Amino acid sequence: MLDGLILFGRSIAGFADPTSLATIAIATLVGIVIGALPGLTATMGVALLTTLTLKMPANVALLVLVCAYVGAIYGGSRSAILLNIPGTPANAAACLDGYVLAQRGEAGRAIGISTTGSVVGTLIGMFFLALFTPALGEVALKFGAYEFFWLALFGVIISGNLTGGDPLKGWIVGFLGLFLASVGQDPIHAYERFAFGNRDLAGGFQLIPALVGAFGFAEVLTVLAEPAARARIRAFGSYLPRLGDVWRYRRTILRSGTIGTFVGVVPGVGEDVAAWSSYAAARRASAHPEEFGKGSVEGLMAAETGDNACVPGAMIPVLALAVPGSAPAAVLMAAMIIHGVQPGPLIMVNSPQFVYDVVAMMLFATIGILVFGLLLVRPLLLVLSIPREVIMPIVFVLCVIGSFAIAQRLFDVWTMLGFGVAGFFLRRHGYPMAPFVLGIVLGDLLDKNLRRGLVISDGDLTPFFTRPISFVLFAICVVTIALNVPAITRLFSRRKAAS
Amino acid sequence: MDATPPLPVRPASRADLAAALAWIVLGTGMLYGGWSMDRLEAQNINPYTAPGLVPALLGGGLVILGALLFLRSVRATAGGQSTIPTSDGAGVALASGRFRIALALCLLYGAGLVGRGIPFWLATFVFVFAAIAIFQWPARRAEGKTVRGLVVAALCGAGTALAVSLVFQELFLVRLP
Repeated sequence: MLDGLILFGRSIAGFADPTSLATIAIATLVGIVIGALPGLTATMGVALLTTLTLKMPANVALLVLVCAYVGAIYGGSRSAILLNIPGTPANAAACLDGYVLAQRGEAGRAIGISTTGSVVGTLIGMFFLALFTPALGEVALKFGAYEFFWLALFGVIISGNLTGGDPLKGWIVGFLGLFLASVGQDPIHAYERFAFGNRDLAGGFQLIPALVGAFGFAEVLTVLAEPAARARIRAFGSYLPRLGDVWRYRRTILRSGTIGTFVGVVPGVGEDVAAWSSYAAARRASAHPEEFGKGSVEGLMAAETGDNACVPGAMIPVLALAVPGSAPAAVLMAAMIIHGVQPGPLIMVNSPQFVYDVVAMMLFATIGILVFGLLLVRPLLLVLSIPREVIMPIVFVLCVIGSFAIAQRLFDVWTMLGFGVAGFFLRRHGYPMAPFVLGIVLGDLLDKNLRRGLVISDGDLTPFFTRPISFVLFAICVVTIALNVPAITRLFSRRKAAS
Repeated sequence: MDATPPLPVRPASRADLAAALAWIVLGTGMLYGGWSMDRLEAQNINPYTAPGLVPALLGGGLVILGALLFLRSVRATAGGQSTIPTSDGAGVALASGRFRIALALCLLYGAGLVGRGIPFWLATFVFVFAAIAIFQWPARRAEGKTVRGLVVAALCGAGTALAVSLVFQELFLVRLP
């Protein structure tokens, strides 16, 4: 514990210089603007910024990305409250009560609540990040090939189950992602798989262009395809947070922060599920559940605390297991690897300072959202009034040049275009993107560890099911799938009705 | 452009049926590709590390999932149900004209102009100008501000071309396509 505090203190001191503070301020503000603009999601923002920060030193680049991630999830609440359009999918729950409050002329109060909730939520998540990452890292040191194989499959199955409304489609795109990760040289023998003699394909699909396509280009197409009305902002009164609101809903804040963090820890689930879970839990526990959806301060507080607490939560499995907890965290993990930081079980052995650096980055970003969230209310209104038809073509130019800049090859631009068009149509037909991304990220882990496990056991499948952690992960996968089989759910509901 | 009819939205179960067949075909292809892949026996490798093992298993999994989607869609079609879930804003009504123009412009720029001998700044200017001018045209015409709209589009195009070229070429030292 004391070692952790010393490392955290060192991290804080490391970022307390004018250059780092200026970087934090700019990156957090950019993140808030990205999040506030409908159509620019946190994942898209982090992916685009990854391409813009390639030439920066690793610690500066990751500082920019973490601050932008925290800022974007917070910034999305602004358009949710003022326009009834969630800036990022994570802020959809905030529309329900935030927009009603704004219509009542209490937009300022709603902004204050979302700022307070986001700040406290991130702080709660940060606390768990600092506390649990070393512990989980220690457990992960016991993981072998069998456990890592199940962990990769577990991520895809859980993500497919919890994101979107259709687990079957989530699993299909998860498997598609795992397959696409296998294109190119295999990680054990460097044998070219599904390359068809093409030199570019032999190198495989690069993660960042694929993600920029699936989240950036697909979003550009979605936004440009639908005509958007000009934003009209109403008058909104004081936006300073009321301490009375915070104290009155302290239990909701603590509960939502904890739920948000733990939803973040579950691979590939992410901030939108965290916000909805926190919102649902707050409504169940509330003395006034009838007010939810009709301008409930408690509901807005729960949603905004939950989604921002999920951000540090999603970093816990990234750092300890190299398994992302959300789609933006997947991009962040890819950026870490590009910059030479290898997340995973050995991180607490090789570079424990880095874990606390991430915690410190989150702390500074939280201060950033508090300051900018309250001081720049009116300039952010101007940003919201920029027509989307002006922003999206510029964003697409960044998608193209950002994909090209990574390795300076046109194949990455074509990869981005292909994944973008595919992502657009998949989303349109109800296929969620999070399991797809997780599949691409975890494909290599699953591939290597299944084959390694089989070699170690000489083809015997028993260790995949008999080792304790393997068994637990396997059992969760089976139960998750079984609970989606109609015959089993019917049986459960019949028993419930009978009892 | 706004007057064009929305994209025809097929009943979800039928769309799922077509998609299910596509997943089954893709899964079969993966299974066959993985099975027939070189097992590197000449190099005397451990057979459990054969490169085609994982793609073949994933292909098998995709065939099963595709078959489940197929069965569910057949049942839904027979029962006249819609199975569409909405996620990530997927269920938005799309104006077909706008979508086709957006797709055409983006593909023309990304695959047709960039890296084809045209200077990057010129391709970027043309793309941004055209996209903003086209997508803002109905609103600008309704307001009677078409010339102003074209000037704004040209300024945005020039600004983006200049800023992106300078930042990537001079600051990030990227050789532009």
